[in-house]
Amino acid sequence: MIATLRYEFRMQIRRPALWIVYGIVFAIQGVLINWYFTLDRGLGPILDPRQAMADVTAWTATLPMIAYGCLIADRLVRDRTLRVDGILDATPADATARLLGKFAGVCLAGAVPLALMVVGRGLVWTVMEGDPGGLLWSIVIFVVALGPGLLFTGALALVGPLVMPVTVFRVAFAAYWFWGNLIPPDLMPNLAHTLLAADGEYALLGLFGSTTRVPVEGALLNFLRPDPTAGTGLLSIALILLLAGVALPLARLRREP
Amino acid sequence: MRIEISGLTKTFKGRGNALDHLDLTVPTGMFGLLGANGAGKTTLMRILAGLLRPTSGTVRIGGEDPTTPAGLLAVQRTLGYLPQDLGVYPDLTARQFLDYIALLKGLDSRPVRRRRIGELLEVVALAQDADRRLKGFSGGMKRRVGIAQALLANPRLLIVDEPTAGLDPEERIRFRTLLAQLAGDRTVLLSTHIVEDVAQTCRILAVLARGRLLFTGEVGELAGFATNKVWTLATPGPPPPGTVVSALPEGGGMRYRVVSAASPGPGAQLLRPTLEDGYLALMEERSAGGIKSAR
Repeated sequence: MIATLRYEFRMQIRRPALWIVYGIVFAIQGVLINWYFTLDRGLGPILDPRQAMADVTAWTATLPMIAYGCLIADRLVRDRTLRVDGILDATPADATARLLGKFAGVCLAGAVPLALMVVGRGLVWTVMEGDPGGLLWSIVIFVVALGPGLLFTGALALVGPLVMPVTVFRVAFAAYWFWGNLIPPDLMPNLAHTLLAADGEYALLGLFGSTTRVPVEGALLNFLRPDPTAGTGLLSIALILLLAGVALPLARLRREP
Repeated sequence: MRIEISGLTKTFKGRGNALDHLDLTVPTGMFGLLGANGAGKTTLMRILAGLLRPTSGTVRIGGEDPTTPAGLLAVQRTLGYLPQDLGVYPDLTARQFLDYIALLKGLDSRPVRRRRIGELLEVVALAQDADRRLKGFSGGMKRRVGIAQALLANPRLLIVDEPTAGLDPEERIRFRTLLAQLAGDRTVLLSTHIVEDVAQTCRILAVLARGRLLFTGEVGELAGFATNKVWTLATPGPPPPGTVVSALPEGGGMRYRVVSAASPGPGAQLLRPTLEDGYLALMEERSAGGIKSAR
């Protein structure tokens, strides 16, 4: 598993497309949500690093997560398209361990640019404010709030292309991300702002005091939108991890023998 | 390492039997597996490598059953496999690719791994290109990387599926010589549709057609199938009856080498058969219904 993790990480992190796509997405998002570049997010003096880093993480989990999923989508099927699978499957290495190694490697590599955006922002905060809390909170919040969503979308992006072409999956994944996380629920019934939203909103709101809460009155599925508390934050994390745990084993079902 | 195959059948949905009650014993040493495209060679190789599960029948490799998890693990620990449709990661260098496969094969010690990879890169004459990315490698160079990865764990069983396909003549000769040198106390199962490769490297072989075993025995025995059936004949007219092995322009006509049970025409002279002649004679006999299967 460690060998596969190492090499999958290496191959993904060196991929020029990874940096180009993220660069474009960050640039677009930076134009759309320009408060990322101001320490107070345009709201005046907010000196709570935890809250500020929670907001930064919420910002990072909007459009760039689409790039994350799309960049992972070809990783599992590529062994077959490159015709490397025969060699790999003929080794005594356990297939499940290889799958987990691939999953961990590509998810880690795909998360590096996202982490750089969040932790980099924490570093800037720390330097500008002289408060190491910015850096520390940025790391904690990235791992705790965004980590489960990264694992779930990573698993989904590995498994999805086993049942449809990669390009079709990428379009479907982008559509899912908008439907499940970004489109206001009063426009259509969806999973945005629910406990199942993979952008980690409940964890950010309930555990880290993010200020990005969008109240949705009278929307369908509002039973999945309880008041954000530490408890609902943890419940959301557990549910998203559970979804990741359900998605990933599906990749093993299509293998022979 | 001895391979014993009994009643092996593999059925693919919608495509019928790729292997049909195959019985075959492969002893230690170099063993050739001949057959036309679609004969079932690759299916057999993939079953032996644990990549496919047979529909029925039994396989024992060194006494282990590769259809059970424990048996498969035991087999794969002793296996080097070079698939027909070999692929590599284009973004890794040859050394990195071999390092990755070595790790998957359980070569955990870095110094041991490095030494082994260095040795094999020398063996396949890629030491100079070891740190180049594989996307820049020619087909022949990738094949050599393929054989290097197959040899990483010093396997007792080496399965090579169409290893010389797509190679230029020089590389082909080099490659098959390397395989023959590797045989020694290993079992090397060489699958190919190129008769010349088997003729130059193997003493024992089997011939498959449509998933069935047509022949197994020594190379000389197969060549013997064409005894008194190989003719040479010069004619200005159309090709003579029988299976034409070769045709060379001569004078105003052509000189043919023909495999035929009867003399193909006036002036035809008998020739000493080669393995290729024997293979063609076997195929012709099978087409005529003279051979059902062989043991």
